[in-house]
Amino acid sequence: MLNFPTWKVLLICLVLVWGGLLALPNAFSDGFLGIAPRDTGASDAQSVAAFEAQKEAAENSWWPSFLPNNKVNLGLDLQGGVYLLTEINPDEVAANRLETLQADIVQELNKPPLIKRDVPEQQGSTLPIRLRDPSQMDDAVKRLRRINPTIGLGGGEKVMSINEVNDELINITVSDSAKQALATDAQDKMIEIIRRRLDPDGVSEIAITPQGDTRIVIEAPGEADPRRIKDILSQAGRMTFNMADMDPSAIRAAEATRPRPGWELVQDTDGRPMLINRTPVVTGSDIATANQGRDPDDNSAAVDFRLTGSGKERFGRATANNRGEIFAIVLDGTVMSAPRINEPIWGGSVQITGDFSVEEAQDLAAIIEAGELPAKLNFIEERTVGPGLGADSIRAGTRASLIGLVLVGVFMIIAYGLMGGFAVGSLLTNIILILGALSGLGATLTLPGIAGIVLTIGMAVDANVIVFERIREEQRNRRSPATAIVAGYERALATILDANITTFIAAAILYMLGSGPVKGFAVTLAIGIVTSVFTAFVITRWFTAMWVKSMKPRRLAI
Amino acid sequence: MLLQYWPQRTNVPFMAFRFPAFLVSLLLIAAAFALIFTKGLNFGIDFAGGSVIEIEQPEGVNEQDVRTVLGDLGLGDVQVNAARGTGVEGIEVIVIRFAIQESGSGDQEAAQQTANNEVRAALEDAFPGVNIRSSAAVGPKVSSELLKSGLTALGVALALMMVYISFRFQWQYALGAVAALFHDVIITMGMFALTQFEFNLSTIAALLTIVGYSMNDTVIIFDRVREEARKYKKLELAKVIDIAVNETLSRTLLTSGTTLIALFSIYLFGGTVLSGMSFALIFGVIVGTYSSVFVASAIVLLLGIDRGEKKRREVAGFQGV
Repeated sequence: MLNFPTWKVLLICLVLVWGGLLALPNAFSDGFLGIAPRDTGASDAQSVAAFEAQKEAAENSWWPSFLPNNKVNLGLDLQGGVYLLTEINPDEVAANRLETLQADIVQELNKPPLIKRDVPEQQGSTLPIRLRDPSQMDDAVKRLRRINPTIGLGGGEKVMSINEVNDELINITVSDSAKQALATDAQDKMIEIIRRRLDPDGVSEIAITPQGDTRIVIEAPGEADPRRIKDILSQAGRMTFNMADMDPSAIRAAEATRPRPGWELVQDTDGRPMLINRTPVVTGSDIATANQGRDPDDNSAAVDFRLTGSGKERFGRATANNRGEIFAIVLDGTVMSAPRINEPIWGGSVQITGDFSVEEAQDLAAIIEAGELPAKLNFIEERTVGPGLGADSIRAGTRASLIGLVLVGVFMIIAYGLMGGFAVGSLLTNIILILGALSGLGATLTLPGIAGIVLTIGMAVDANVIVFERIREEQRNRRSPATAIVAGYERALATILDANITTFIAAAILYMLGSGPVKGFAVTLAIGIVTSVFTAFVITRWFTAMWVKSMKPRRLAI
Repeated sequence: MLLQYWPQRTNVPFMAFRFPAFLVSLLLIAAAFALIFTKGLNFGIDFAGGSVIEIEQPEGVNEQDVRTVLGDLGLGDVQVNAARGTGVEGIEVIVIRFAIQESGSGDQEAAQQTANNEVRAALEDAFPGVNIRSSAAVGPKVSSELLKSGLTALGVALALMMVYISFRFQWQYALGAVAALFHDVIITMGMFALTQFEFNLSTIAALLTIVGYSMNDTVIIFDRVREEARKYKKLELAKVIDIAVNETLSRTLLTSGTTLIALFSIYLFGGTVLSGMSFALIFGVIVGTYSSVFVASAIVLLLGIDRGEKKRREVAGFQGV
C-alpha cells in the first residue's frame, strides 16, 4: 500500500494537473481569459465601460487557447436573475387547433351546403355540426374524413374525432391521443416563439427548457424584473388585418343587440368600440419581419413590418378594392391602429404608430415577428433574485467556506499533528478538484451548493480520521510505522466505501427529485464525496508514503 | 498532539444506558409528533404556496409604512417584517409575505403572479428607487407537487438505505439503522415545529443529508461490531457493541466535530438564505451521532445477531486499491 510505482505517481499527477487546470479559470476575469464580452444592449455608462474594458482585455489576452477557460456556472440565486415556470393547458391547445380547422370544415361542408348555420359555434374543444338533412349524414362524414389532418410525419395521429350523435348532429372533437401529441408539438413551438420574443437578436444568455409534456422553464440571468418577461409572454400575439366598418349607426346597432353575421365588435387601445370583419385580410403568418422604427411625422417610436409575397398580394388587392375605407390592425382582439386607405398599398410595408416607448415598440415588434402562441402561457411559479442579493450571497458563501476551511484545518493539525497537516493538504486538493469538476462538467453552483462544499470540507476529513484511528490502533499493537500505515489503510477501505456510498445515495436521490438550488447542493455533495474518498485514499496516502520513506520515523506522532 | 491526550482506550458501558436512552428517544419522538400535529410545520412558500418579496429597507421607511402601501391591494393577510438580510456587513431588509390568493375566476395561479406584479408596482410607486432584492410567487399547483416530491425523496432515500444495508449486513443491522434514520428525521422535524423555523425545499435537502450522514456514522460502528463479533465469539453482544462503540468513539467525535465546525461557519457567516438549512444540519448531525449508538446499535442488541457458529459466508468486501 505504500508502494507507489512511477505510473501511479504519474496518474495522480495527471489527475491533479487536470483538475487544477479546469479550476484555474475561476481565479481570473473573463477578459484575461480571452473571452469576448456579450453585447447585452445595455447603454448606461457603467455597462459600456465594463464592455469596453473586457473587450480590450480579451484582445490583449495571452491566455493560450488550448487551456480551458470555462468558469463554474453560477445559479440564478448567485448571479441574480429571473426563473419562471410556465404551463400550457392541453385542452386549450386542442380547442385552438380545432378553431383553425373550422374554416376548412365549413368550406368543405358548404359545397353544396349540408349544414344548418354558416358558422357553427365551437364549445370548448367540441364543434357541433347540425345537418340540414339527415340523409346527407354519410356524405358529410366522408367529406370530414377527407380533411382530417394528421399530426407529425409519416401519417401519425388523426386530429379530429368524428362522432355521429344522432341522425342530424355530428360532434367533432380532438381525440385524446391527438391532444397529447398536439401539446408536445405546442411545447416545441412555444419554446421557439418564446426565444424569438425574449431574445430576438440571439445575444442573451436566456435559457428556455421544456419540463415534462406541458411545462416550460424560462431562466433569464441578469434580469431583475420578472414583469417585462411576463408581459411579453402573456400576449397571444395573434395579429390580423381586418376591414373595419366605421359607420356609427352600425356600431350602435351591434352594441345594442349583436353584430351582423361575419362581423365582430372589438375595442381599440382607448377602449372605443369598433366593428371589424371576422375574416382577416392578412394574418400573422403573412408577416415576414417586424422592427422598431420611427413615425416620419413626429419621430416617435413605431413598429414597421413587411409582408411575405402572398400577404403582399392579398393586402394590395384588398387596399385597391376598398379605397377610402378603414382597415384595422388587430392584436389579440384589440385594434392597435386603424388607418384609412388612401391608395392601394402594393409594397407590403406597413407601420403601426401609437403611444409607444422605444422599448415597448421593440417588444411589440418581437412579439409580432415571433408569431402567435398556440395557447396561452400560464405562469405558475416565479423566483427572482436581484443582482445585489446574488453578489451578497457569493460573498457570504465564500466567507463561510474560508472560515470553515481554516477552522477545520487548524482542528486537524491540533488533533493529528503532521498527519493532520497531510490531511489538510489533501483537503485543499479536494476543493480544487471539486471546483475543477464543477467547471469541467458545466454543473451549476448554487448557494446551497456552496453549503454542500462547506459540508464536504467537514466530512472530507472523515476518511482520513478513520484511517488515522486504524493506524493508531495498529501502532498500539507495536507495529512499525510502515506496516501500521499499510494495515490502517487496508482495514479502513471497506468501511469508508460503505459509509460514503450511503451518503452518495442520498445525494443522488436529491439530484433526481430536486430542482434549482437544491439540485446544486446535490451536485456539490456528490462530487465532494467522490473527490474526498479519492484524496483521502490516494493523496494523503501518497504524502504519508513519501514521508515515511524519506524520514524513516521510528514512531508516528499520531 | 492533542489526540495523544485522548484516553487510548475508553471504556464507557454505552449499552448499559440503552433503556434510559430508549425512553429518551421515545419521549422525543412522541414530543416531535405532538408538536408536528399541534403546532404544525411552518411551511415556506415552496410547500404552502404564496409569495415572498424582500426589499432593502429604504431610508426612513418602516414596516408600518410598507403595510400601509400594500394595504389597499386586497391581498388578504400580508405579513411585513424587518429582518437582517444576507450580506457581509449585514443589511436591513423588509420581508413581505402573503398567502395563496383567492381569485374570482378560480385561476389562483394567475392571481398569485398578478399579486406579485402589483406589489412590485406599488412599492416602486411609493418608494422610488426601492431595491427589490428578491421575489418569489409559487402557485398552489407547484407547491403541492414540490411537497409531494420532497416527501417521496425522503421515502425513497430511507428505502434505498435499507436495501443497501441489508445487502451489506444482516437484516438486524438494517432494521436498527433505518429505525435510527426515522428517529433522526422525525426529531429534526419536531425541532422545526417547535422553533417554527421555515420548513422548505432546503430543509428537505438537509433532512436527506442528515439521513446520509447518520447512516455513514451507523455503518462505521456496525462495521466494527461485525468485526469484533467475529473476533470475540463468546463475548456477550452488549460487551461487543461497547467495544466497537468505544473503539470508534474518537473518530465519531472528531468527524462530528469537524462537520459541526463547518456547519456552524455556514450558520453564522453564510447569510440568512442558508441559516434554516444549516440549522437543520447542525441539529441533525448531533441527533444522528447520538442515534448511531443509542438507537441503531441498541436495536441490534435487542434483536440479536447471528454470530455465525457455522462459518458464514463472508460478505463480499471491497478489496485493495
